[in-house]
Amino acid sequence: MNELAQALKPFILFAPEVGLSFILILHLLFDLFKKIEPKSFVRSCVLGMILLFVILWLVWPCAGVSLSSMFQLDPLAIFFKGIFVLSAIATLLMAQEFSQKLDNRFNDFCLILLTATLGSFFLVSSNDLITLFISIEWITISFYILTAYLKNDSFSLEAGVKYLIIGAFSSALFLYGISFVYGAFGSVFFADIKTALATGSNSLFTIGFFLILAGIGFKIAMFPFQLWVPDVYEGAPTPATAFLSITSKTAGFAALLKILFLMTGVESINWSSLLLLLSPVTLIYGNLAALRQTNMKRLFAYSSVAHVGYLLMGIATATKLGIEAVLYYLAVYALANSAAFLVIVISNRELKSGDISAYRGLAKKSPFLSGVFFVALLSLGGIPPLAGFFAKFLIFRAVILKGYLWLALIGAANVIISLYYYLSIVKEMYFKQPTSKDEIELSGGIKIFLLCLTVGIIFLGVIQEPFLNLIHISSSVLFLR
Amino acid sequence: MLNLLVPALSLLPLLGAGIILILPPKRHSEIRKTAVLTTFLTLVFSLILFLKFDSSVRLFQFVTYVPWISSMGISFHMGLDGIGIVMVLLHAILSFTGAVVSRSINQNVKLYFVFYLLLVSSIFGVFTSLDLFFLYLFYEMSVIPLYPLIGIWGSQNREYASMKLTLYISLGAVLALVGLLSIYFTSGLQTFDLLILQKAAFPTQFQIWCAPLMIFGFGVIASLWPLHSWSPIGYAAAPTPVSMLHAGVLKKMGIFLIIRIVMTLLPEGAKFWLPVVAVLCVINILYGAWAAMAQKDMKFIIGFASVSHMGYAFLGMACLNELGLTGTVFFMFAHGIMAALCFALIGFIYDQTHTRMVPDLGGLAKQIPFISVCFVIVAFASSGLPGFANFVSEILIFFAAWDHYRWQTILAILGIVITATYMLRMIRDVFFGPLKPEWTKIEDAKGFWGKLPYGLLVTVLLIFGIWPALLLNMIRPTTQALINSHLSVYQAANQNFVSNPS
Repeated sequence: MNELAQALKPFILFAPEVGLSFILILHLLFDLFKKIEPKSFVRSCVLGMILLFVILWLVWPCAGVSLSSMFQLDPLAIFFKGIFVLSAIATLLMAQEFSQKLDNRFNDFCLILLTATLGSFFLVSSNDLITLFISIEWITISFYILTAYLKNDSFSLEAGVKYLIIGAFSSALFLYGISFVYGAFGSVFFADIKTALATGSNSLFTIGFFLILAGIGFKIAMFPFQLWVPDVYEGAPTPATAFLSITSKTAGFAALLKILFLMTGVESINWSSLLLLLSPVTLIYGNLAALRQTNMKRLFAYSSVAHVGYLLMGIATATKLGIEAVLYYLAVYALANSAAFLVIVISNRELKSGDISAYRGLAKKSPFLSGVFFVALLSLGGIPPLAGFFAKFLIFRAVILKGYLWLALIGAANVIISLYYYLSIVKEMYFKQPTSKDEIELSGGIKIFLLCLTVGIIFLGVIQEPFLNLIHISSSVLFLR
Repeated sequence: MLNLLVPALSLLPLLGAGIILILPPKRHSEIRKTAVLTTFLTLVFSLILFLKFDSSVRLFQFVTYVPWISSMGISFHMGLDGIGIVMVLLHAILSFTGAVVSRSINQNVKLYFVFYLLLVSSIFGVFTSLDLFFLYLFYEMSVIPLYPLIGIWGSQNREYASMKLTLYISLGAVLALVGLLSIYFTSGLQTFDLLILQKAAFPTQFQIWCAPLMIFGFGVIASLWPLHSWSPIGYAAAPTPVSMLHAGVLKKMGIFLIIRIVMTLLPEGAKFWLPVVAVLCVINILYGAWAAMAQKDMKFIIGFASVSHMGYAFLGMACLNELGLTGTVFFMFAHGIMAALCFALIGFIYDQTHTRMVPDLGGLAKQIPFISVCFVIVAFASSGLPGFANFVSEILIFFAAWDHYRWQTILAILGIVITATYMLRMIRDVFFGPLKPEWTKIEDAKGFWGKLPYGLLVTVLLIFGIWPALLLNMIRPTTQALINSHLSVYQAANQNFVSNPS
């Protein structure tokens, strides 16, 4: 039995990737030979993703390296893959609700979406800079297509071009940085670089490190690399926007954690103080800019920048508590954003407008939809007993433990600013009378999924311990000596 | 078994909210009955706890303890002391009467009662939690239902008022959260448990910078000057039952939490900052009363009056002695009942006449004698006339403050005169004089359910005015223990100073 397990081990390590590739190829082939309706296409994709979730559940907490140690499966990678699967399911359902605009090219949209998910699977399992770079490119190229998917919509094309230019620029920075790092130590493996750093840093490496950091900074929309976010978020098809704000951002943070903790460590380069400076700036910029937005997607673009600020705060502490907080935050953010964007996709279609003012009286048109949105918004705002509160609580806890009281106070004040614009949406939905009377009908599948997300948001805010234990195991990967 | 009633106080309204969420939105009467029944049950539970409470014991009673997140030292820890039981009783009475008064809410009834019961549940949680994490959780949870409750069912200026109120109180809450987390780490005990944290000795320097975060953070909800400006606007906009709960209980939460957290955990910080509060609270008293004089809208008058009255509670607390603290807790109870009754009566008049402006009304006593009598009683109570619970508590506070804060006390007593002026003037203009012709058709409160909320509150006010010992005996052992622990800390600090003068 043991021998069998030993023989199967490499396959177990690849199980999630193999599973996803299988789903992808199967659907691609089917799509070639037979025209499938969007609804059944999405249904079978979602079913596949749920199976994938089960696979992830089964391999947890397996760990090991393969492909001459270029590929590594560990609890942290499984954790991130879980978030990606959730995000993919949510985005597939959004795409289904969005299918009118995508018409006959709908199935391709879903396939590219799954491709990007596969890329992010490899990203979180990468163990060296080259694999990391290739997977980042993999994701980014998928997004070039997704953001520009609406061929006849100039906004979408504009968003695609902007994302292309910015993406290419950041990739170039990233690659340039890798060349410096390789020049400094003659290796691209995280572990080798960290060992070499222990004997002393050099200026070549420092230049390379900051170039890589800038490259990732674009992906996660860290200040001062956040300027592309509002236009791309607004112009892209809404499912692509959601996918950008969840999968792409989470993958970016996974890459950041790998670079900062697996490759560098706190001792050799003091990146902590740089992030300490950038996190409040990112936070305040995102929140202040979000205050005056009238377009829902634009508001979410800026608020997602603000959330990056909170996440960077957690990373800046460079402690295990901080990283645990970041992981909790990312998971909760994915849950709440999935719910929120699903609501946005459906309401934008029904209300025929993306303006916040179009949401007036949504509570009358669909109490269920606005109820879910209410919970998601309050969770993003950080109101107990919802999960978003506990995530922010963990961040503040880590920050105060490190002694950065000023940072915690800035973070606390920003909760109030964000509460203002989140509550303004609630105001439109609940306080105002609708202009028309038509009610919004929802399909059963969407209702069940939204209900699951809502229950998840409340559950993670009230019964935190099981998930905390899971994160405790995941985050320890970054702190192995 | 009795200890299970304490978490049940919070869980029962949640359950009620859940049931209402399932009920179809058109079935108004079932929804109302569920809400009234739930709040009635919590009232029964509170009365049982009140009667079974052993006032000779100084420890927390009816304690429930469930470890929640052991790695972070968070536990679901609930229990009651002499202060907690009084506040729970106050809240139970008001949430029941509030649910009965909610008959005037006619649109979107289902959603209203869901939010109302969430509010009720979280306030019970604040008064019973002995774990700082859950305490904060319930505190912030109580702020959020207020936003839709005021915004959807409110009257004039509701959007602005609800946003302002929510943001102000939340800002105070997050400031307090930073303070709470600092306490958690500075103690070095890795626990949020209030009873364990009490044993930790915090450095004086830490206490002095941490205490204001919480005194002013929680002071926002108790409308401490200059953080009060959300309050009159919020009350004016809120629907009647929400104004009742807000003025009656929510404001008291601020002072309750300062007593429970700052005074027990950070005694030196309290000693340092409470004299500042004693000055601010006099501004509260005089400014609030002065502003109330100038108002025409009855809700604004009572709104400013409650800002003014909270000053007395702060003054009693700032004395840092047993008498003052006992007076404060008793005052919070008395004022809670009185303020809620005021808002309930104004709400009744508004439902009949659709105006709250004093000059528009007049001579209503002929038309609605029951309501008028209640209003006159409440005005007397508000002005601190003997025979009412308010009088007893105010006297206690003045006695306590006389030695510490002479000038503040004199000015505070002046505040009572102003209060009497505007209350009596309002009584005269609204209830007496010639009856205006447009009000000849309005009707008095009728039937058992119609009169119950007002009658109940007046009765409570009179019972505790005539027999204050009933409550005072419950409060005193707790306040005594609290002040004694203060003294012992202070003496210990002095002894240390004597033994190591360096």
